[in-house]
Parts: sequence; C-alpha cells; structure tokens
Amino acid sequence: MTALATRQADFMASLLDDERALPPDWTARHAAGLEIYRNNYRSALVEALRATFERTERLVGDESFARAAAHHLITCPPSGWTLDLAGQGFAETCEELFANDPEVAELAWLEWSMHLAFVARDAEPLGTEQFLEQASAFGEEDWAKLRLAFMPGIAVRDLRHDLKALWSSLAEAAEEGEVTLLAEPATCIVWREGERPVFINVSTAEGRALSEMMSGATYGETCEELLASEGEQAVELAGSMLRRWLHEGLVERLDQ
Amino acid sequence: MTSIDHFAGFGLGLRRTHYADFLEGEVPVDFVEVISENYMVEGGKPLRLLEEVRAKHPVILHGVSMSVGSAQGLDEDYLSRLRSLADRIDPLWVSDHLCWTRTSAHNSHDLLPLPLTGEALGVVCDNVERAQDALGRPMLLENPSSYLTFPEDEMAEWEFLSTMAQRTGCYLLLDVNNVYVSAQNHGFSASEYIAGLPLDRVRQIHLAGHIPATEKRPITIDTHDREVCDAVWALYAETIAQTGPVATMIERDDGIPPIAELLEELDRARVIARQASQARAA
Repeated sequence: MTALATRQADFMASLLDDERALPPDWTARHAAGLEIYRNNYRSALVEALRATFERTERLVGDESFARAAAHHLITCPPSGWTLDLAGQGFAETCEELFANDPEVAELAWLEWSMHLAFVARDAEPLGTEQFLEQASAFGEEDWAKLRLAFMPGIAVRDLRHDLKALWSSLAEAAEEGEVTLLAEPATCIVWREGERPVFINVSTAEGRALSEMMSGATYGETCEELLASEGEQAVELAGSMLRRWLHEGLVERLDQ
Repeated sequence: MTSIDHFAGFGLGLRRTHYADFLEGEVPVDFVEVISENYMVEGGKPLRLLEEVRAKHPVILHGVSMSVGSAQGLDEDYLSRLRSLADRIDPLWVSDHLCWTRTSAHNSHDLLPLPLTGEALGVVCDNVERAQDALGRPMLLENPSSYLTFPEDEMAEWEFLSTMAQRTGCYLLLDVNNVYVSAQNHGFSASEYIAGLPLDRVRQIHLAGHIPATEKRPITIDTHDREVCDAVWALYAETIAQTGPVATMIERDDGIPPIAELLEELDRARVIARQASQARAA
C-alpha cells in the first residue's frame, strides 16, 4: 500500500468510527478538523435518507428516524459514487429495528422502490393493441413460449398492510399515519408512469406470477405454476393479469 | 485535448427550489451550473428538466464525486456516465474538486483533504489526465476548503494546483470563499494564495458564504448556506482585478433563499467585475 493509500484508508476509518485512535503525529487541532469532517459526513447522509424516506420519517417520528439512519450508516456505510444510493438496504435496516411494526419496513421499501423508479431508464410501454397485433398469429406453442420484458424500474413485494391508505395519510407533515392490516396479504407493484412513480396492489398469486416472468419464466411455465397453486381459477387469472400488465403499462416488449 | 476559451458571464447554481424560476420565467443569468451527479441517471424527470434548462442557458457540469485524489484511481462507471451526460448536454465545461471522497471500500460523499505531497500530486495528475481522456475535453478543478493539513505536507496548496494545471493542461475553478476559509483555518495569506496561482488558467470563480470561527470553535466552517461576507467580496475584487473577466457565480448549497436574493448578490459581483475592468482599462 502506498503512503497516500494508507493515509486515506486511516482517514476513512477515523471518519466512520468515532472511537478510533488518531495517528500519533496528529494534534488537538487535527482532531477538531476531523470532527468537522465527521459531522459533514453524517449530516449529508442522514439528510439524503430523510429526503428519500420522507414518509417513513413521518411514520416513526424524527428521533426514531435519526437513530435508524445513524444505525444504517454504521452497518451499511455507503460505497457507491452517488449519494442517491445511500438508502440501499434501509428497508432491511427498518425491518430489524422496527421488528414489532412491520409496516415501517414495508413503507421504507415502497419509498425506496419509488425513488429508484423515478430515475429508471426511459422506455415506452407496449400497449394492449400493439400486443394483440404482435400476438395475433400466435399458436398454442407461441403462447407457451412467450416471454415479456418489463418496464425499467419495476419492483414487487408482498405486503400485509394497506400502503395506499398509509401513503395518503402521510402526504402532509404532522399527519398521523393510518396503519391498517389488509384483509389478506397482497403484492405491491411499483413502476413509473411517464415521469411519476406509482404503485398498485394485486393478489399474491399474481405477484408471484409477475416475479417469475420478470425473472425470465415463460408464460406457459407461469401458467403451470398458477394451475398448481390456484386450481381452476388459474385460467381466468392468467388472462386477467396479462390484461392488467398491458393496461397499466408494465410491459415494454415481447422478449422472444 | 482542446482548450477552454474565456467565458466571462455571471451565473447561478441550479437548485430544486428554483426549477420553476428557470423553467417558467426568464432568469437574468449568462449560465447555469448543475451538480453533475444529480443528472447522471438512466432517465426520468431530472434529465428532462436539465434539457429544458439547457435549451435556455449554457450549462456547466460541476461534480462532487470524481475523487481525483483517490490513491485507487477513478471509477470507470462514473467516468462513462459523466461522458454520456456531457455528450448529451454539451456543457461549457466539466469541473470537479481537488480532493478525494472514497477508498476502494467506502465513499464519504464529502470533499476530503489531500496531503500536499509529491506522491499525491502524481496521483492527482494521473487521475486528471485519465478523466480528461475519458471525457474528451479538459476539465476545471476547484480548490477545496479544508479543516486540517497533514504533517507530511511538502508544498502549499497553490503550488500543488499550479503544478497540476501545468502538468495536465487542466484549468482552475477558483472558489474565493474556499481560499478565505482555508486561509483562516491554516494561517496563510489569501492574497498570497491567489497571487501564487496561474491566473491565466482560471476559467470560473465561485462565491459563497461560511460560518466564522468563534472563541469556542476556532475553525471557520465552509457552509455555502448564507450570503457572501464582505471579506470574501474584497478578495473577489482583488482576484478579478488580476484575472480579468472570468465566469463568476454565487454558489448556495443550503439555506436556499428566493432566487431574487441570489440575483442581488450576483449583481454585486457584476459591479465589482465592471469596476475591475474599468480600472484595468484606465
């Protein structure tokens, strides 16, 4: 390691760890200077988390959020060049810190997914009519082999809480979060509609099917899975989910 | 590598709270400086907004994460994204800071100070040359403000900057407030610093505010969150008298006021620069 690399590794370690002993040739003046860099580091990252997880902060309150953000920076110090990714893994941090309030991690996941969708690659969704045109000559085998490429920035997760109500109730500062359990678990889908990130809830069966197709499964394989889990409702669901994905603008193109 | 011509206008940094001012109105500036990293994204609204601003004003791409002082070298993904953005926006120029922000493991997202050694100078020059090659254009590098110096320092910061500019062909972005803050913190003469730079390489000047040192906290803190103080205005007058007309902007990063307040500060810079030009002509 060169002298510069060693100096930078030591400096970074001291920046991240308040308890670390300072180099022997450093004076109190150096320590005071380092303290300013430490404060800058922490405050910039906590501010970045606050900006990304605005509603999560409203839900748990300023102090709890500040503690969670500080914990996150210790356990997951940033490594990427963009401050925009400082919130990577924050939903998992919330899952650990707010284990008795699982809606916190669900909301943090939603805010993070919308944050990523906001700057995802631009693409035009495949409209229902375009799809029908392209699939007009499909035989049974073509349908079975059909693969779909989905719009950039789509994220999917199972939920137990009504995030739609929670999201709306936290739109303004000083509002109380409306935490309601869903009648049954659902899957949340996040994507970007034009320039605006949006989300909807669908059944967990549809959510599983979407996840599988996003991972490269064919429509045929996905329908077989549906048949095994949903029985006779599978046929109707296979059709309705495809119509929904096209109608909502989740599909970018056929991927065959 | 092409050169960068003088561009002697007056500008502001683009901040979110002023998007509507820039997009819906006519802001009387000659250029707009944006934080590069905010627009080094795949797609979405930020890029569209930047393109709209670019349609109305010349734009400067000002980065905070290149880390030209990193012993590990530069991040190739970063360079490639910055090149794409520069190709898309066609900026007046691309700038970053004389500092380091990351090691191979972590990123501080802060502008950290470099030891002013021959070894660090070699690393910075290699990295600046690599960046200029990747971007296909010369860069401007900005002097940082700092809160500590290193026992192993071998030269003054202005000597470091001078040699860097001479070796790499890069230009300088002179933050007059940063010179003032570091001079306060390290006890050197701000005038000597300015006079020690190759002023013919300065293509842009930043003006900003800071928190003065107190008896309890004997360190001046560079906050860029308030108006430019009189001492920094005086240093700007001294600088612009030596450089001649140079692109000048008010850089406010926090505590962002209504745009009218920043435009008033910019008018003060215009007056000072005009007086300096008249004095030079006389």
